[in-house]
Amino acid sequence: MATTSGRRLNRVTVLFFSLLAIGFLIATFDVRSDGGNVANVMREGTQSIFTPLQKSVDWVASPVVGFVDGVANLAGLRAETERLQDRVRELEADSREVGAIEEQVIQLELIAGVDAPEELPTVTARIYASGPTAFDNVRYIDKGANDGIVVGQAVLDEDGLIGRVDLVSANDARIRLITDPIVSVGVRVQATNETGVVSGRGDGPLRLEMFRATLPVTEGDLVITDGSRFPPGIVVGSISDTAEAEVGFVLRSSVRPAARFSQVDYVKVIIGWSALDADLQDGVVDSSATTTVAPTTTTTTSEG
Amino acid sequence: MNRSRVAVSLLAIVLALVIQTTVFGAGGIEPLGVAPAFVTLVVIAIGPYVEAEYHVLLGFTAGILMDLMGSGTLGLWAMTLTIVAYATVRLRERFNEGIVLTGFLVFSLTLMGQLIFVTVGTLFGQEVAADTSVVAKVILPAVWNLVLAIPVVWGLALVFNQRDRRWAT
Repeated sequence: MATTSGRRLNRVTVLFFSLLAIGFLIATFDVRSDGGNVANVMREGTQSIFTPLQKSVDWVASPVVGFVDGVANLAGLRAETERLQDRVRELEADSREVGAIEEQVIQLELIAGVDAPEELPTVTARIYASGPTAFDNVRYIDKGANDGIVVGQAVLDEDGLIGRVDLVSANDARIRLITDPIVSVGVRVQATNETGVVSGRGDGPLRLEMFRATLPVTEGDLVITDGSRFPPGIVVGSISDTAEAEVGFVLRSSVRPAARFSQVDYVKVIIGWSALDADLQDGVVDSSATTTVAPTTTTTTSEG
Repeated sequence: MNRSRVAVSLLAIVLALVIQTTVFGAGGIEPLGVAPAFVTLVVIAIGPYVEAEYHVLLGFTAGILMDLMGSGTLGLWAMTLTIVAYATVRLRERFNEGIVLTGFLVFSLTLMGQLIFVTVGTLFGQEVAADTSVVAKVILPAVWNLVLAIPVVWGLALVFNQRDRRWAT
């Protein structure tokens, strides 16, 4: 009896080490192929099998989840309402000022003979699932290649940049969030007009590195995309730590993301812009004084 | 009968994965910003009901499905959940020694799984250890699994025992 049990345990141990070796080989292959075609085909296949199940469960569970969420946040609702009322008053005041400035801009553009680029086309999509662990910075949306979505497109919520499309099937797509450590975004600090790179740290503030900074960055400065991989002028966040620039040293700071990653239900995917457009534009337009219109309603004027 | 138990276990894993990515996904139920490791919990909870070899295989299958649904390198969760399943096999007799010990085992095995994933992920260049919330992401899923252990273990026991009774008749 003991021998049979021991033999079975040995068989289990052999199987265990074999599976570990297979897992190790798969991981090595995936790293070597840099998430190549085979891995992507497998991911797309698995996702297409799970999508109907996820959408069904999401449809059934979302009212319950909303109720649980509401109950959990009941205490904070009154304070949040008051804060939002104050914010609405502030924004109304800002809106009146912006209206006046917009009129001035239109008049100046007419004088200068500059045609502002049209608003970029977007597709609105609903998030129906996320990655299976807290370490996965991905979201799944219910729009895909059939809606004009391709890999690399920028994804926004009403506050700013969320991430980029990183896997597409016919009717679904996966977004990789800017909080993912492997995602880097070329950015421009609006106050200084100097460029840098923002990268994710899993959660919390993003890491900002500026290699040729000559001016300091101050807490609250707006950080926007620079147009290298994403359309220019999309809000990424604001500087959370003031930092001085030193010649010969990289300026390092943190950026508080504008997007609210855990509370987003709907996103917009910009389908009318690719990094190739930016290259073409750089080739024909003098970059020393450009006027760019962000894909949402933000207008940004940069001076070289 | 064993084949039926494996099929039910596989179904439980698929359902757990769907719940993990929707109900416990972003915007869903995430107490303190981190969701339970629900798939890990189900892999542990099916331990007493399937044969050891099948359990290790089911752990590997659950892991590879998580890898395919996630954003990291393929194979990392496969290795992690294979280790968790193997550890559960070695400790399966302890699951009959009362609710407190079962809770403690679920907590310890989940924590071990999270730690192994962080270690293996870092070795494969995933920068998981550089995550600013890595401590919370390792500890909190184990705590939430401890809370969920009672309904999940009880629910699976109910399913398996009912199936056994049906097979017996």
